[in-house]
This record gives sequence, structure tokens and C-alpha cells, in this order.
Amino acid sequence: MKSVIEANQLVKTYGDHRAVDGITFQVGAGECFGLLGPNGAGKTTTFKMFYGSCRITAGELFVLGMNAREHMRQIKAAIGVVPQENGLDPDFSVLENLLIYASYFGMSGSAAKARAIELLAMMQLEDYSQKDIDTLSGGMKRRLVLARALLTRPKILFLDEPTTGLDPQARAWFWNELRSLQKQGTTLFLTTHYMEEAEELCSRILIMNKGRSVAEGAPRDLIKSYVGHEVVEFDIDPAKIDQYIGQIKNKFAYQVMRNRLKLFLRDNQTAADALSEVSSPNITLRKASLNDVFLKISGYELND
Amino acid sequence: MTKTAEFIGQTLADIFYFPQFGRGILSVWRRDFLYFRYTILTTLAWIFVEPLLYVFAFGYGLGHFVEHINGMSYIRYIAPAIMATSGMFVGFFEGTYGTFIKLARQNTFSTIILTPVGTDEVAIGEILWCTTKACLSVISVAIVLVLLGLMPTANMAPVLGVMFLTCWVFAAFGVWLASIARSFEWFTYFQSGFILPMSLFCGTYFPLSRLPHPIYVFAMFLPLTHAMQSSRMFLAGDFNAQFFINMMYLVFLGVVFTNLAAARFNRRLVV
Repeated sequence: MKSVIEANQLVKTYGDHRAVDGITFQVGAGECFGLLGPNGAGKTTTFKMFYGSCRITAGELFVLGMNAREHMRQIKAAIGVVPQENGLDPDFSVLENLLIYASYFGMSGSAAKARAIELLAMMQLEDYSQKDIDTLSGGMKRRLVLARALLTRPKILFLDEPTTGLDPQARAWFWNELRSLQKQGTTLFLTTHYMEEAEELCSRILIMNKGRSVAEGAPRDLIKSYVGHEVVEFDIDPAKIDQYIGQIKNKFAYQVMRNRLKLFLRDNQTAADALSEVSSPNITLRKASLNDVFLKISGYELND
Repeated sequence: MTKTAEFIGQTLADIFYFPQFGRGILSVWRRDFLYFRYTILTTLAWIFVEPLLYVFAFGYGLGHFVEHINGMSYIRYIAPAIMATSGMFVGFFEGTYGTFIKLARQNTFSTIILTPVGTDEVAIGEILWCTTKACLSVISVAIVLVLLGLMPTANMAPVLGVMFLTCWVFAAFGVWLASIARSFEWFTYFQSGFILPMSLFCGTYFPLSRLPHPIYVFAMFLPLTHAMQSSRMFLAGDFNAQFFINMMYLVFLGVVFTNLAAARFNRRLVV
């Protein structure tokens, strides 16, 4: 697969703080690649370096074969960006927001207008074209920002936390739209801290923590290699927790969160093996998810 | 203290920042112009009303007690000052408040730089827009003054030229301030510490020669002084070489503030 995005030992420092600390990855054409990590992991900083909103401290960055240090203008002409902050212009109507944004790409006149109207219909915003931005709901604003990013029919779409703050319906609608864009050949590169979103959309993910890459691969492979196929989760008396751990630590991979213990079952282990070791009034047996991988890697402590 | 030293060092270095020009400047200008269309009537009404207030207060009111200055009636004497201060105020306010809202409150510029438009083009497009708006105000003031018979139409072209340069200087100054500002309140220092005193002491409502010598020397560094000197000479039909120094000084300040603004925009928008 031809790679359209390439980062090589990418570094970003703010004073002594290394916000991004040597990240390397590639994204293939037509792929949906996700950057995951807790708040402050360096996702957005990494992301912003690709479209020139953040200066590169060290390392190499290529988009569609173009070096980000030298050809940022050409890169920005070829991609679409859905930033974390909507940045919609409250001085203008919905349609005007699209037309003005198109003008920054040198698109104007009837071609720009036709494209804008087509996108408003696609985003189910055609009835709002003359409305002020302030009258839109959060979900509508997000759809308008997606429409804005698609004006130039970009080959690559950068989405920084595309569905943060949306309700479940709006999120499902958004996912569906992104999947159909991917089917049409658009490469998607997104950041998210919703594991569900990453599992739903991404063919490959990279998990970041404290500016570094800690895991990379297909969601299913990561689940399998980091936590296994099933998880037994149960409450435990905090006084007895060390005793329990002593009892199971050579048999199971585990993780503790206060008075809750998680046992991760490998392929050759069954739920019965685990349950025979546990006596707790509150036991759950479930399939392992990307959430378990994420929490196992980045821990339970709050990050901000 | 080190912070101040750092700021001064950075600013001196920024004078030599040479911005990249591009078509994006016009797109940014156009965005501001499109918004202006919505507010054009209120803005123009105010621009016409304001000079009339000055004409009545200073000209017919105060002017009644003043015999003549430089051989002309007081109201004719202050006519170019009304024009120049109007350009200065509009350029400065649009540059500071107008730009700061877009920069810090509405994320307008951080959205624009997601497109092929660069930060230099954003800064210059903003300065161009603020200059345009200030020039429109100068022109409408000129129309009012000419209609009232307070300003000769001969030599109007070079007078407007000086006024436009003045608009650019204050627009660029305002946009630069916006690019280093943290809050709206901050602009008040420059408004009452710099812009308002300039409107009073730069040979606007009384001749510079009335000022005590040290203040006179200080006033010679202020841009509005140069706008007043040259526009008064042009209006009198006196084209001695002095105007060249006046114009060059305004151009110099315009370039300096434009470079400073572009350098700061770059650092503020690209972190």
C-alpha cells in the first residue's frame, strides 16, 4: 500500500516540555488511521504539525509525498481539516461560511456555490443555508465543519476529535458519513479518545502516551496482544487485594483500579479458570475491548 | 525585567521580518469587506456625523474666540486635522478591537490558516482592510468638508495621498498591538496614552510651535505630526522638499509596523 502520510522521529518541544517525543508512523492511501491517547498525550500537537498550525521541532513529515517543512501551502491545498475548535465565522451565514472558506482556496463564483449547496444537502443542512451560525446545534456545527473540509474534494481528511461533545445519534450519523467517504477512496486520519469510535472506524491505530508511541496496529490485533480475548472484572475488599494478587499473578495478566480487579484471559485460558480463583459478589465476564488496551497502557490516573 | 528585555529584543528583530505576499491577502481583505457591507450604513452615518460635530464644536464654537491661525480662519485651519484624526481613529480601532476579536475570540484566523493562505497574508490582509476602512472615512470627511466650503479642492490628490499613508501607519500599528494583546482592556493604554494625545498635540488644533521645546522635539517623532505638516503644505500649495521627509517617515513606520504585525501573527497562529 502506498503511504500518503509519513512521520519520521517527529518531535515537538515547548521549552523543556517534550509534547511529542519521537513519533514514527505511516498511513496508507485509503486507510482510516486513528491517533489515540489520553488528554495531553500529544495527539493534537502531532496532528497540527501536519497542516502547519504547529511548528516542527525535529523530524520529518511528508503528506502526499510533499515535505511539510517546504511545501505546506501545497499540502494545505490538497487536504481537508476538521479542527477540534469549529472556528465557524459568526459574522456570516451557514452558506457564506462555506463560500468564504472556498475563496481561500481560490474557488469562487458558481462552481463554489454549487459545491457548497451540494455539501449542505449531503450534511442535511440545506434548510439552514441562510441561518446564522449561532442558531445551529452542536451537531449541526460539526456537520458544517465537515462540509467545509470537503469543499475541495480532498484526498486526505484530517479530523481532530470529530465527534467530541455530540449525542449518540449525531455521532452515529457522523461515523456513517466518514465510512462512506472512506469507501469513495478518501484517506481518513483522526484523533479521538473514544475507543468505540476507533474500533468502529479505524483500520489501524496508534496509541500515544506522554508524547511517545506506545502501541500500533489493527484494533483487533492490539486487543489480542495486550489483553487477550476476554476480561473478568470484579470488586474486591481493599484489605485483601495484595493477597489476591499474590494468588493470581503467575496465572493471569491483571490490572487494579482501587477496589476493582481485572483479569485478562489469553486464548488458552477460559472463564472457568478465572472464576475458580475468585469469590466476589460482583463479577462480570465480558469480551476484551480497545478500552481495556487503552487503560492498560495509559493507566487509571487522571491526566489533567 | 528580563521579559521586557526579551520583548524589546524580539521586536527589534521583527522589524527585519519580511512577509510573504500572495493572493490570500485579497481573500482575507474580501472577507472583512463582505462583513463591512452589513454594517456600512451605520459606519458611514457615524463617519459623516463625527466630522460635523468637530466642525461645530471647534470651528463655530471655539473658533469664534480665535482670530486667525497662519492667516486663515480657525475652522479652515483645523479642517485637515479632522480628516487626519478620523483616519487615525478608524484605522487604530479597526486594527486593535476589530482584529483582536477575530484573532482571539472567533478563531477566524486559525481557521483561515487551515487553507493555503499563510499567516503573513492574514496579517497583511487585515492591515489592508483596516487601511481601506480608514481611507473610506477620510474620503467621507473630505466630502463633508468640501461641501461645507471648508477645504479647497485644489491639491486634494496629494493631501489624500498623505492621509492614506497615515491610515496605513495606524492600521498597521493597531494590528500589531492586536497581535501582542491579551485582552481588550490593554488597548486603553494606547488609546489614552498615545492616540488621543496625538490627536491633540501634533499640530492638529494649534501650531506645533506653541509647544515647549522638549515636547516639540518629541512630537516630531509622532506620525500624525508628519501627516499634518505635509497636508497643510499641500493645501497651501507649497511643495517644498520637506514633504518628502514627511512621506518617507510615514512609509518607514508603515513598513515597520507591517513587518512587526506579520512576525507576531506568525508566532501567535503557528505555535
